[in-house]
Amino acid sequence: MPAKRFDDLDFGDEAESRPDVSMEQVTLFTEATGMKVGRFLDHDAARKEGLPSAIIPGIMSQGLLTAAINAWIVDGVIESIDTIFRAPLQVDSSPTCRIVVTDRDAEARELELDLVILNEANETRVLGTARVRC
Amino acid sequence: MSLLEEGELDELRAEWVGRQFDEKEFEVSLERAQLWARACGETRPEFCDSQHQDFQVPVTFASQYTGRKAFPKELTELFWRGLPFDAGKRVESHAPIRPGEKLIGRSEIHDIYEKTGRSGSMLFIVHRMTFTGLEDELKSIVDWRMVVREKKNKSEES
Repeated sequence: MPAKRFDDLDFGDEAESRPDVSMEQVTLFTEATGMKVGRFLDHDAARKEGLPSAIIPGIMSQGLLTAAINAWIVDGVIESIDTIFRAPLQVDSSPTCRIVVTDRDAEARELELDLVILNEANETRVLGTARVRC
Repeated sequence: MSLLEEGELDELRAEWVGRQFDEKEFEVSLERAQLWARACGETRPEFCDSQHQDFQVPVTFASQYTGRKAFPKELTELFWRGLPFDAGKRVESHAPIRPGEKLIGRSEIHDIYEKTGRSGSMLFIVHRMTFTGLEDELKSIVDWRMVVREKKNKSEES
């Protein structure tokens, strides 16, 4: 995803990233948060809970979107981010983070963004919005 | 069909909305902040490089913190009327949070409301945690939406 600045961006511009949601990365996240439970770290334990496999903590998916915004809009500061955890995102899968500029306020130098994380089947797992000041 | 009795929503809102029920102090860990940034794939130096002059934790870092009790007992009892799950989080950043600093997190119930969707009635309880520094300067507001979804019999599901 090529880095952009506020002056490069316009309404409707979009970017995609492919976050690493391997078990190794999720393990790091659980070490950062203390969320060391089977549903995040062990595919078999997750299946015993009725899940298809181990899943990514909701707040990690929010962190993936935050990192994608920061990588794309390099002069931006995230003022707010709101995410809906619509369906589980699986560990060791290959999701896509997609960001779309839905509003651009040139005077306030602010951007409104729509956010989504899709799985390999292009199904929405997480969606949200963010406001970024540049 | 509502998960609540008639008039119960108004009573719950009057009793809980805006009421602070918990307070806890947190120390922001440098090691945990660095692990968080690596795990989420942060690339900006202000979130990854502890020597950077503006080094700070990623903006949603405070969303991991929970108080001594996540919800008041009277509200967790509502969870068992249906299927409770974490519906989402909203984070509003007001000032950078730096590793090593101490935060005070104050918990309140920000909102309680019902919605009816295709899968039936849903009760939303919004937990708000407001984080300030020790001088009471506002740092971050984290809203956590818990939803209790109506349980359906197999025969009712389409």
